[in-house]
Amino acid sequence: MLLVVIALGFSMAIMISIPSGIMANQEATQNLTQNFSSTITNMQEEINKTATLIECQTSSGQVFPSGAPTGMPRFGSRQEVFVNETVGDEIRSIEGVKDVVPFLEKSSNETTSETLSTPRGSFTILRPLYTITGVPLNSSFIDSYSVLPTNLTAGRNLQEGDSGVLLMSSNLSDYFGVGVGGTVTINEESFTVVGIYEPTSQGRVETRMVCMNLTDAQTVTGEVRNVSRFDVYAEDASYVDAIADVIEATYSELSVTTYKDRLTQLQNMQNMYNETLKNAESTLSQTQTVAFQEIIIAIAASSLIVFFTMLYTTRERTKEIGTLKAIGFSNWNVMSQFMLEGILISIAAGAVGIAIGIVGAPTLTSLLLPHVSMFGSTQIGRFQELGNPLSAIGSQATTASLNPQLIFLAFGAAVLLGALGSLYPAWRASRTSPMEALRYE
Amino acid sequence: MSELVLETQKLDKIYKLGGRTIRALSDVNLQVKKGDFISIMGSSGSGKTTLLNMLGCLDKPTSGEVILDNVDVTKVPERKLYKIRRHKVGFIFQTFNLLPYLNAIENVELPMEGTKESGDKKKQRARELLKTVGLSEREEHRPHRLSAGEQQRVAIARALANDPTIVLADEPTGNLDTKTKYEIVRLLSTLNIDQGTTIIMVTHDSHIATRAGRMLSLYDGKLLAKEKEGTHLLKKELICPYCGGEIQPDNTFCPHCGKKL
Repeated sequence: MLLVVIALGFSMAIMISIPSGIMANQEATQNLTQNFSSTITNMQEEINKTATLIECQTSSGQVFPSGAPTGMPRFGSRQEVFVNETVGDEIRSIEGVKDVVPFLEKSSNETTSETLSTPRGSFTILRPLYTITGVPLNSSFIDSYSVLPTNLTAGRNLQEGDSGVLLMSSNLSDYFGVGVGGTVTINEESFTVVGIYEPTSQGRVETRMVCMNLTDAQTVTGEVRNVSRFDVYAEDASYVDAIADVIEATYSELSVTTYKDRLTQLQNMQNMYNETLKNAESTLSQTQTVAFQEIIIAIAASSLIVFFTMLYTTRERTKEIGTLKAIGFSNWNVMSQFMLEGILISIAAGAVGIAIGIVGAPTLTSLLLPHVSMFGSTQIGRFQELGNPLSAIGSQATTASLNPQLIFLAFGAAVLLGALGSLYPAWRASRTSPMEALRYE
Repeated sequence: MSELVLETQKLDKIYKLGGRTIRALSDVNLQVKKGDFISIMGSSGSGKTTLLNMLGCLDKPTSGEVILDNVDVTKVPERKLYKIRRHKVGFIFQTFNLLPYLNAIENVELPMEGTKESGDKKKQRARELLKTVGLSEREEHRPHRLSAGEQQRVAIARALANDPTIVLADEPTGNLDTKTKYEIVRLLSTLNIDQGTTIIMVTHDSHIATRAGRMLSLYDGKLLAKEKEGTHLLKKELICPYCGGEIQPDNTFCPHCGKKL
């Protein structure tokens, strides 16, 4: 009997674990969809705000070199190139240009090694510890364009005339070990931290940055009068293409990105997201089909176990049934007696099943639903490889766990299956002729 | 003249076994008065158990009537028969047939299951019955911890639970040793004398059969016309069946001749 209860319990554990796995899957897909759409929306908004913006970045190498994975550290930083500030003045003289905002972005001398795991192996890359960004603290720029970080968590933002101060991304406060008002030394120059901001996440790779006056940045990095990027603003969106053409033709060291380019990028990204979502959804529906079949099998197995157990029991106890009927039990009395027994066995098994389920739901679901784990590795791996913001989304774990609702449901199912499985055996028992039953040895 | 509690008229039972037709009972006419203690003797295959099943509403005759408490039970539909079995008949089996997972008192309460009595009343009644059969000390024991004789006592208490019109005992001493056999049959006759319980006992043991008041014999499904008187009647009248001396109801041995009563 104990064996029966355990076998039945196992079957029930499968029955309740699978929905939990499916629910975890659904949740993951939902999260994916939500994150995708919010990412796209944010980017769309960002792009719409900057119809007149032409980004001119000094050409640089790839952040993540592609190729076969090795355990060897790779230097993952840009091949940094700088141009003289005066280029900005030249660009300003192009017809239709309203403003040119120069920036200096240079990696710190300190580096850190990071390990990124992808399905093709894990990469160890060397990355600069942080980026020094110089921003022209000119009130006309600050007021008109988004040149400064916006999401401050402490202190104040930079303002015109600031010198010897900096803004720090929050993920650097540990490294420097100071907060607002503290002093930070970069290349033997001291700066006072006036504010801390929350960096926007670039996937797994969070940007770590200090932000300061452009001239301060040029001095501290040794790139005097040099800059790495211009944000060129056109008088009107209609000038953008012409300006971009001129800049591209004149300055080969600058790579130009316009509103159109950004839209195309967004489109590409959206396509990729959709592709990914479609994959996730088809995986989910496949998983659901498998799960459905498995649940049916588990239900069938459970009721068959109850059925045969009760059939065996009633046969074994034929004489008892005869006795009960001889001393005045009605058919209904006998039937309900055995139904009750079936249900009790089933409930005991349900308890065992829930116990197994609580402990083993993740294992069981990953065994029974091979697709569940795919969310955990393959798909996410692709994002990581691409160095894409999606990697952060993908890293959400899909762990199956039992919630109280499911446990409650499982008890209901146990009662139902017990009743279902013992229906025929109990009915048969109730129909036994007492005379025949008493003769049975 | 005592009232008639059970009567059969022209009872026939024909079985078809394979291709053969077996006449298990033929033209059985039996009259049982209230307070009777009847033994029915017969060799195996003579139809004793068939007759008992008929009387206990476990089986239907091929033809004839069984009138129990003025009701022809052969006309009662199967789905209502359980009420008659519950309230009018008490069964005692050769193999006791106690439920192994219930203790003595629960076994006795079993026939009262489904009646309207409250739980306390059932328990009280079961306790009284166990006291009657002399098992007050063993209420909580499960059957496997009771001796064969004790188990049969529990079974007798169970048969009496709903104060039945008639108690049917099918070879009640068949699985007992000689000493216990007499104890059980003495218990039955005491119940008959003290409480007026009507008892029909089927046995193939002539020593046991003679302990009843009326001795009937079945032979090839026919009830023999000749009916003998058992020693029970004499005991009922407090006369020793062996020497004719006066005895007391609770005497185990005759105080005059020393024979076992």
